[in-house]
Amino acid sequence: MPHRRKFRFGVMCSHADSATDFREKARKAEAFGYSTLFVPDHFIDHPLAPMPAMATAAAVTDTLRIGSLVLGNDYKHPVVLAREAATLDLLSDGRLELGLGAGWMTADYDKAGLELDRPGVRIDRLGEAVTILKGLMGDDPFTFHGKHYNVTELDGEPKPVQQPHPPFIIGGGGPKILALAAREAAIVGINANLRGGVAISDDTAQSMTGSATDEKLARLRAAAGDRFDDLEIQSFVGFTNFTDDRQALAEMMAGAFGVAPEEALETPVVLAGTLEQMIDDLRDRRERWEMSYVVVGVDVMEQFAPAVARLAGT
Amino acid sequence: MAHDRKFRFGVQTGGATSAREWHDKVRRIEALGYSTLYMPDHFIDTPYAPMVGIAMAAEATESLRVGTLVLGNDYKHPAVVAKEFASIDVLSDGRVEAGMGAGWMTADYDALGLPYESHGTRIERLGEALAILKGAWGPEPFSLEGRHYTIKDYDGIPKPTQKPHPPILVGGGGPKLLRLAGREADIVGINPNLRAGEISRDAAQDTVAARTKQKIEWVREGAGDRFDDLELQIRYFVAAITDDRHALAEAMAPAVGLDPHEALESGVAVVGTVDECCDILVRRREEWGVSYIVLGDDQFETFAPVVDRLTGT
Repeated sequence: MPHRRKFRFGVMCSHADSATDFREKARKAEAFGYSTLFVPDHFIDHPLAPMPAMATAAAVTDTLRIGSLVLGNDYKHPVVLAREAATLDLLSDGRLELGLGAGWMTADYDKAGLELDRPGVRIDRLGEAVTILKGLMGDDPFTFHGKHYNVTELDGEPKPVQQPHPPFIIGGGGPKILALAAREAAIVGINANLRGGVAISDDTAQSMTGSATDEKLARLRAAAGDRFDDLEIQSFVGFTNFTDDRQALAEMMAGAFGVAPEEALETPVVLAGTLEQMIDDLRDRRERWEMSYVVVGVDVMEQFAPAVARLAGT
Repeated sequence: MAHDRKFRFGVQTGGATSAREWHDKVRRIEALGYSTLYMPDHFIDTPYAPMVGIAMAAEATESLRVGTLVLGNDYKHPAVVAKEFASIDVLSDGRVEAGMGAGWMTADYDALGLPYESHGTRIERLGEALAILKGAWGPEPFSLEGRHYTIKDYDGIPKPTQKPHPPILVGGGGPKLLRLAGREADIVGINPNLRAGEISRDAAQDTVAARTKQKIEWVREGAGDRFDDLELQIRYFVAAITDDRHALAEAMAPAVGLDPHEALESGVAVVGTVDECCDILVRRREEWGVSYIVLGDDQFETFAPVVDRLTGT
């Protein structure tokens, strides 16, 4: 009997050497059976802006879904974003997955001179933005008066192909963002807590241990109530390492991040070992944490493809 | 380098009704010999978001240039805009024209719930935004302490394919805006003055020939020695191929508060047979230096013979 949560896979395309290379990566992701090509949204490090990148990836493929992982809400007004997202969904014939986040990377805010408000305010603003996005993608003129945004009698154009709207991905690690995701998202990313403003630190690593992940899932389940079974749970595996000796790797990682070696292998942001071990881990994680939507980095797209071939759709 | 003032043509279009139709339309525009596809940026009555639309259009074509006519600066942070234009320039192998405006349509500001500030403030903000675009596209990290934006040691990525950067198009109708355009832009759009915040009789009356000459003087004042390097552009809102241009003028003039002669001489009207339209555009190029002609969605098919005859001459 098929599992009620079928596996599917995404590729996080956080860099490309050239426009040609980016197109090639999108075509390969499709050919290898990945469901979705994701692009990030930062001012530094990542070479292509997400909207043009997604448009291009959609244009050079037929069935590959395209997504943002994730757009920083504070970088663009939600009325602007709603129109861009709907246009992208329309021009890709309904292949958009709209990943949204509250914004967290200090460097983005510094470089562009944006105010980095405290997490509660950013999450509150994201919540309003989600309401506006859904409202503008709906059939009728939309009015919203919030603490952060005001929209009056605006009939959003164009309307997206996916109805009532493209699936929203909301990811996060803290209780507030998970509560918002539980209420509003179709896909929930279980992420590290990034309150420190940088991607890699002891704090983010310790927020992704197995027991910390248990807590996040419990929190999500409680917040989602009846919606929980409808949610697709996503994990982004930031560290994928093919090795015959995963114990040695675990000890090395444990030292670097201040966690025990068995914790390093248990965290859902790490896949280490042989292909068979990875497949076993993914199945275990689906049982334990409901994670059926797995995203890997573009560097391992090809190497990881056999796992996709084995697991996708099962 | 002095611009050669050879004719080229663009089409401004807000989109289509499906992916297939958009694909076919932009390929048709390319096949008819147009240089550039432009998309406007409004939240009312324009179907597509321009940055997504032009990225898709570039992917569907080989040599067609793509741009915005124009982005409203206030709707998006310039660091975001810089990255998006640069990305499309890289993805299109250097075919972007970055059109920027100060924002003018009150309905857009209402849609976003943004304050509609004085035109002086909006133009000042556009000036800072242009500095941010150029800074982000330049080779070094840059900083800007402006009145409206603060940029700290930002090394924009990607760097655009066109060097030093994609041509910047600034369009407007008033003295402040056109002086700014003369100083900073590569392509200057000579537009009706839209201070009223909507398309009005006031805007139509601002297009008579004498006003157009005045506008070009403002560009010249801002440009100084650069003036000869600029490419001047007009978006023709009234463009028709007809055997009886006077009948059309009689019909059209009252609606915009002009007499029929003024309507025909309006700087945004080109009406007549193919020969007459070509003559008008050649004469205006001599008088005004305007060589970059932009037409609308409903005109690009009928004007194809004019495009064919004048492009590159």
